[in-house]
Amino acid sequence: MTPSDLLSILPLLVLVVWACALLLVDLWLKRKGVTAFLAALGLALTAGLALAQAGEETTAFGGMVALDGFASFLNVLFPLSGLLGIAVAYGYLKRMNIERGEYYSLLLFSTAGMMLMAHAADLVVVFLALEFLSLPLYVLAAFARPRLDSEEAGLKYFLLGAFASAFVIYGIALIYGATGTTSLSGIVAAIEAGSLGTSGLLLTIGAALFLVGFGFKVAAVPFHMWTPDVYHGAPTPVTAFMAVGAKAAGFAALLRVFVTAFPALDADLTPVVWVLAALTMFVGNVVAIAQTNIKRMLAYSSIAHAGYILMAFVAFGNPATRADAVASALFYLVTYALTSYGAWAAVIALEKQDPSAGSGQAASGLEINDFAGLGRRRPALAAAMTVFMLSLTGMPPTLGLVGKFYLFRTVIEAGQVWLAVIGVLTSLISAYYYLRVVVVMYMREGAPETTREPWLDFTWAVSALATVILSFLPMALFAWASAAGVMGF
Amino acid sequence: MLTSQLTWLVLTLAGGVLFAAFAPLLRRRAERLAAPLLALLPLAVFVQLLAALPAVQMGETAQARFDWVPALGLSLTFTLDGLGLAMGLLIAGIGALVILYGGAYLHGHPSLGRFYAVVLLFMTAMLGIALSGNALLLFVFWELTSITSFLLIGFEHERPGARAAAWQALLVTGGGGLALMAGFALLAVITGSFEMNVWAARAAEIAVHPLAPAAFLLILGGAATKSAQFPFHFWLPNAMEAPTPVSAYLHSATMVKAGVFLLARLFPVLGGLPLWTPALTTLGLLTLVGASLLALAQTDLKRLLAYTTVSALGMLVFLLGLGTPLALKTAALFLVTHALYKGALFLSAGSVDHGTGTRDIARLGGIGRAMPFTAAAAGLAALSMAGLPPLLGFIAKELVYETTLEAAAPLLLTGLTLVANAATVVVAVWVGWRPFWGRPGDDHLHPHEGTPGLWGPPLLLALLGLALGLFPALTGDGLIAPMTAAIVGQSVKVKLALWHGLTPMLGLSALTLLLGVGLAALRRVVQPRIAAFWRALAPLGPANLYHRFVHGLLSLASWQTAVLQNGYLRVYALVIVLTTAALAGLTIVLKDVTLTLSPWQPPRFYDFILVGVILTAAFLVTRSRSRVATIALLGSIGFSIAVIFLLYSAPDLAMVQFAIETLTVILFVLVLYKLPKFSRLSSTPTRIADVFFALTGGLLMTLIMLLVSRHASDASAAAYYAANSLSQANGRNIVNVILVDFRGLDTLGEITVLAIAAIGVFSLIRLGGKPGRKQRAVPKGGRTK
Repeated sequence: MTPSDLLSILPLLVLVVWACALLLVDLWLKRKGVTAFLAALGLALTAGLALAQAGEETTAFGGMVALDGFASFLNVLFPLSGLLGIAVAYGYLKRMNIERGEYYSLLLFSTAGMMLMAHAADLVVVFLALEFLSLPLYVLAAFARPRLDSEEAGLKYFLLGAFASAFVIYGIALIYGATGTTSLSGIVAAIEAGSLGTSGLLLTIGAALFLVGFGFKVAAVPFHMWTPDVYHGAPTPVTAFMAVGAKAAGFAALLRVFVTAFPALDADLTPVVWVLAALTMFVGNVVAIAQTNIKRMLAYSSIAHAGYILMAFVAFGNPATRADAVASALFYLVTYALTSYGAWAAVIALEKQDPSAGSGQAASGLEINDFAGLGRRRPALAAAMTVFMLSLTGMPPTLGLVGKFYLFRTVIEAGQVWLAVIGVLTSLISAYYYLRVVVVMYMREGAPETTREPWLDFTWAVSALATVILSFLPMALFAWASAAGVMGF
Repeated sequence: MLTSQLTWLVLTLAGGVLFAAFAPLLRRRAERLAAPLLALLPLAVFVQLLAALPAVQMGETAQARFDWVPALGLSLTFTLDGLGLAMGLLIAGIGALVILYGGAYLHGHPSLGRFYAVVLLFMTAMLGIALSGNALLLFVFWELTSITSFLLIGFEHERPGARAAAWQALLVTGGGGLALMAGFALLAVITGSFEMNVWAARAAEIAVHPLAPAAFLLILGGAATKSAQFPFHFWLPNAMEAPTPVSAYLHSATMVKAGVFLLARLFPVLGGLPLWTPALTTLGLLTLVGASLLALAQTDLKRLLAYTTVSALGMLVFLLGLGTPLALKTAALFLVTHALYKGALFLSAGSVDHGTGTRDIARLGGIGRAMPFTAAAAGLAALSMAGLPPLLGFIAKELVYETTLEAAAPLLLTGLTLVANAATVVVAVWVGWRPFWGRPGDDHLHPHEGTPGLWGPPLLLALLGLALGLFPALTGDGLIAPMTAAIVGQSVKVKLALWHGLTPMLGLSALTLLLGVGLAALRRVVQPRIAAFWRALAPLGPANLYHRFVHGLLSLASWQTAVLQNGYLRVYALVIVLTTAALAGLTIVLKDVTLTLSPWQPPRFYDFILVGVILTAAFLVTRSRSRVATIALLGSIGFSIAVIFLLYSAPDLAMVQFAIETLTVILFVLVLYKLPKFSRLSSTPTRIADVFFALTGGLLMTLIMLLVSRHASDASAAAYYAANSLSQANGRNIVNVILVDFRGLDTLGEITVLAIAAIGVFSLIRLGGKPGRKQRAVPKGGRTK
């Protein structure tokens, strides 16, 4: 361990130390607003440091950790998503009587785990990061205890998450067994040396198990079934953070490992990923139609979007499109993060404090029909929500269109035309349920009670503006994602 | 020169969008002035386009380009050629009239401001389609028109019918738009560009590409949904829920022509495909004939007009499908003609509705005296629709017959066209003559003429149809020739005339008129029969299929939610296990691996004992009905495994295993008190099924174990420790050296983690859990509609 090792993961280190300190400091803080502010400050600092690292390329800790365009891109995305996670939570926690300082520390820890994931260049670090980011999330999902559905969400997420982790670790063990190393570059070297022979099969099965484990994390069908229950039961800000952060981190791991270590397994894995992506898009979108609860609808929508990002993976084995695969996935992650946070913020704005809180009743019973009349009551919020719904569908003039277009283009360039067609057709299905929200907001009479909180309003307003403005000026983001697509390692 | 004009035009449009946003405000401030002021925008565009007309007539085209995401091939390229210009003139001209008309028609409506805003937004998007040179840009505008159309159909959203129709139109046209995008993407794969002029330049290359038919069909899907071709035609008549100015503007004059426009635009690119002519002519003819016969069953003025719009669109697609220069010229002329007369008729229908309160032709009659201007407009437009000289419609119809007579199967094509045209004449009589003259209708109508805003615009449009018909040469050279040139891709001569002498076409026109007027007079006899015929066919109709499809999708979704997403953790875990087994198992099977047992030492007697203990315990765990027993049994499995580790010279593993097993058992016992009574929740069939699932998982693990054992393990780590433990750590006991030296930090970490976990669990048990909390009894199923 040398100073330069530490320097290369400086943002991460700062965040971890900050989170530990915050946990202690919080004990003496009466006003939890200060904790929230300190947590946000830490995240902002981390994001700034990560931004300062952009352009650096190095490996550290004996090649276990990589700092490259990919890592620094995600290391900016994760703290920013954490910041939004705080912005949407601040008022909500107060309103729901669950304002405890641990929320902020846990969120910081989880963010740190995600950042570690972005750095990981060794399967052991991948696993470490996976647990590091997941454990705080398990607790956060159950944060609204003693509300039963929140506790249920936490427990379900934990049990299934542990189950999925077992697959990951077993997969890693098999990969190690086949190649004798857990380092991604070592795996590549072992494959290239061509000495694997029969243990190549072992490697394939290991990779498949790895895919299963992370398929769970990113909520790909058929490993998605926890998602609606957990997203629905967890406190909404946690859901928003989970939907964006955990998903992005899962994809970070998949991208890094598949693109750097497994291109040689292309022939075996591409059909599997193909089927997973198609299934995920189809099931996510079709089932979302039947949902009447907005949180469950958005949960299925997040499953469907995992499918879209998975599409990018079918291009991972093709050297010509590999960089595009990573870049388009990253671009789409940003798109999804912005839009999804905005949509969840709108949900939070409408969620009322449950009169029966504490009695074990489900509190997050916000239905899509409860958005009726929002167009008249809160025109700006309704307009923002419309932007989010359009963006999730992939319609102009939103970033969702650009993101989806980039994804589809990559997929088609990789020669998977039919997958792109499935993607387009399922997008069409998705229009049904996204636009229904718009219809309800503008065309049904109702008087929804909404909350006005400065930070919440800030979140949806900024997300909506960014979604629209970036769709007209996506060049900078695009260039950055492209730079991150070429993994320095 | 032309390019700078185009740039100004685009800037005007961009300003138009901003302008549109202020429409509701303007309307609130200045009710009276709002319509004329807002109509200035389309008027400005109209004038700009007119100013550009001379240059375009000379054969010039212009391109203006703004970069968006160059790396993705996304740039905002606008093109101005004859086709786009003519389309733009229609869009802007009728747009200005519709704004004025809408102000009168929706006078006092609380949401009039919204109407202005959305119509202007629509107009901008529609002009965008006409001027796009880049396919993606076109797609963006395309979807925008779908969205604005949705908002306008659902304008009176208090009515469930309007909401449903808006919804249907959006799903059909918006979905078609996505197919269109897929088609564009395929063309971009072939050519590497989204610029339509690049496509046209490389048409020969596209024609032979294997992906071209798929691209063509996808694009055709987009065009067919937008232009209401069979079997997607059903959304258009339902869209008549929209206020009449909207129907006139979007669903007859402009938006529904977007599909046809696109096909014309892409004629130089895809016209060379062998599929082009058969696909388009079949589609067009089906739509043409089907819709004109469907029209005869209608009694509502707007629905009559809607079905004839569908049939006119079918005619346009059919003509484009034929693809001969004559057919293309005819299509260009027919497009303009139809927009003029149909716009006028729709607006007059709105005026009739406004003056009498009904649109039912069975109730209307003899209102011409009370509404002379409306009657004049409707009559003039209907004459054009029926194809009487000296109106533009006559020239168009002559040309249509000329085209079909020249085509490959003249008899069939002419016959079918004749049927459709006769039906069109019938409708023209019903909408242009029947309500205004002859036998008086219902006594309680009290017809009255509205403000000039209501009859001025339709009259203007109808007169324009007359004027253009009176000066056919001017129309042909000035408008139709540049349009045709843009479609074909080279300049063409267009000579239009009212009188060609005694030709077969003239005879056919006369026959059409005779048939049509005759049928029209027999409305009371004919109409019920045709209506009954279509009613009998309705269950097979595409509208019904659409409903079934939507319903089926909903049921599928509900079923999935109820059955698979039932909230039970065990189901979720089960799905993961089975999928994994399928994934990994299939890999093993597909790879055709021969699983051989590697040479092994003969088992010793204590191996049998240990394996026996493990198997027995595993079986008993599944049968046990007591928690303590279960934990003890699981523990014994763990300890047996630890012993195996020990026996096969892995003492460090054994140590860890012992520690973990002990801790687990202790923790289990600690939490045991807090758990509810142990009960069997699954039914016997479920349990039997579970046996199979468990065996599947077990089998997979066994297979993997066999695979692993076949593979000679790498002994590098052991060799490293053996070589270095004495030299570097001064220890002879390698295991000890590993634990306390090489991996000393790991060991410390493990101990810490275990300690913290134990403390955590203990404190949770001591502090957590409030008494009296109830167990959730109801599973989470049935969260469906």
